[in-house]
Amino acid sequence: MSVLLDVKNLQTHFISKKQTVKAVDGIDISIKKGETVALVGESGSGKSMTSLSIMQLVPSPGGEIVGGEVNFNGRDLLKLKEKEMRKVRGNEISMIFQEPMTSLNPVLTIGEQITEVLRYHKKMSKEQARRRAVELLKLVGFSRAEEMLKDYPHRLSGGMRQRVMIAMAMSCDPKLLIADEPTTALDVTIQAQILEFMKNLTHQFETAILLITHDLGVVSEVADHVVVMYAGQVVETSDVERLFDEPKHPYTQGLLNSIPAIEGEIERLQSIKGNVPLPDEMPAGCRFAPRCPKVFDKCLTSNPELIPQEQGRKVRCYLYEEGEDAV
Amino acid sequence: MLSYILRRIIMAVPILIGISILTFSVMHLAPGSPTSMLLAPDIGPEVRIAFEERYGLNDPIPVQYVKWMGAMIQGDMGYSLVRVGMPVSEMIMNRLPNTLILMGASTIIAIVISIPLGIISARRQYTVTDYSVTFGSFVGIATPNFWIGLLLIMWLSVNLGWFPSGGTHTLNEPFSILDRLHHLFLPALVLATADMAGLTRYSRSSMLEVIRQDYMRTARAKGFTENTVIYKHGLRNGLIPIITIFGLMLPSFFAGSVVVERIFAWPGIGDLLITSVFQRDYPVIMGITMISAVLVVLGNLLADIAYAIFDPRIEY
Repeated sequence: MSVLLDVKNLQTHFISKKQTVKAVDGIDISIKKGETVALVGESGSGKSMTSLSIMQLVPSPGGEIVGGEVNFNGRDLLKLKEKEMRKVRGNEISMIFQEPMTSLNPVLTIGEQITEVLRYHKKMSKEQARRRAVELLKLVGFSRAEEMLKDYPHRLSGGMRQRVMIAMAMSCDPKLLIADEPTTALDVTIQAQILEFMKNLTHQFETAILLITHDLGVVSEVADHVVVMYAGQVVETSDVERLFDEPKHPYTQGLLNSIPAIEGEIERLQSIKGNVPLPDEMPAGCRFAPRCPKVFDKCLTSNPELIPQEQGRKVRCYLYEEGEDAV
Repeated sequence: MLSYILRRIIMAVPILIGISILTFSVMHLAPGSPTSMLLAPDIGPEVRIAFEERYGLNDPIPVQYVKWMGAMIQGDMGYSLVRVGMPVSEMIMNRLPNTLILMGASTIIAIVISIPLGIISARRQYTVTDYSVTFGSFVGIATPNFWIGLLLIMWLSVNLGWFPSGGTHTLNEPFSILDRLHHLFLPALVLATADMAGLTRYSRSSMLEVIRQDYMRTARAKGFTENTVIYKHGLRNGLIPIITIFGLMLPSFFAGSVVVERIFAWPGIGDLLITSVFQRDYPVIMGITMISAVLVVLGNLLADIAYAIFDPRIEY
């Protein structure tokens, strides 16, 4: 399959008079057509900023994409003019957000919010757009789609709103759907339903997904490939099976250990001690070193590169350097 | 919707009764009485008593209030004590259209200037533009109407001769819309200034609030231009609190019109009120107070209805 999105060395900084915060510090992500890639990490690791950078919706003034490439379908999005970029947003790349309760406009009807995208990007007539909107709402499981067009968001529950968001995001047949923690704010039964709709739709339309999450349960269910982020950098990339079978980076291991297992003996849940370092207190060496259980001298002085492993996996850890034994 | 409007109207009744009681009591606390106004000072006490008997002026005050209120409801506001025999309702009705025109024009000026300024200020928060608008607003809030009015008359009317210094139209000329607008512009602008400043500040903060909302990010992610995002998705949300503010600003419009009408010799009820206060023409003062109260209550009612129309989350 051909590569759809290829992010190379993406850097997004927040620049103020006092300091420069490197929210995204040299990220590489590659997504093939129709593939689902999960971007995983704790709060503050730069996941959301990465997605907003791809869309070029970084909050400004303050945030700024200072370097890298976002190659999408054969062109570098960062080199596009704002006018051309607008044709990509909502059309070729669309996005759904974490908070379904606040992501829909409270004073516009559901119908208006879906049809406006179609009319803007696909130049549909009012009637065409309306029919397409009904179709989309049915695809995300609303049986009374026709009446729903006139409803306002406040009448819907969180799960319903997120389905509306999915319908809206899928309306122009995007090639890539960026889902920023789409199920975090929903309860567990609804989560499964939303993931199901996302999976079905993207499969049907061959849409690739960049799924941003901190929920490894969600990752194991839907992702093909995983990118683990820590403190603005990628620390490990792998296909999903191998990552869960044999996590390499101590941070990934820590993340997996902190999931409660349903089967097996009840033991004390592992947690990773400490917090993600604050941007102005970045360690000199490996960024994970202060929290790492396997830290050794070299980790404290220099930050490792991403080291290629078997089957295209990569890991940013000195434990996997040539000559070191795998743990 | 209809039942909501009806409920709101019914709720307005106790408010108006309260205002009428207050007005009536305050008037009776003030020095001077119809007797001293209408009768010659050297008249004998028996004539005075007969006069009071005849007009019910020696009734207990609550009885007087009920009589006054009863007549008021039927549109009878009594007679002027100064222009003897002139019904108060007629005096007010002659003047009211002028005041409404003035306030209407001010409202339009305030909206057309303030809301866009507020939006621009919010979009460029902490830039020179924003600081200038903010500075201008504070100057506007801090400067009294009458002073701006006098200054503008001196500068634009007396020195430059661009605008007439007062009145609603050129005397002895046939009716002309342009002439009316020419006369209207300065007083309407001056009346608008005080509220314009506040309205700009409120629009700014309201839009700042809206700009940070998640649905604005959603709109941007749809690929819309920043203008579509701001004006289609933001403005309607941002306007909701401003409608309320507008209802609250109505009383200050009335207060402002008293001063502005006086300065620009604008024959409205504000001007009439001042004249009546100086002449202790109590029935006229009470009439104007009641009419203003009714208009303010009505304005707030309209604001509430507009609120319910703009915000689909309001159940009525």
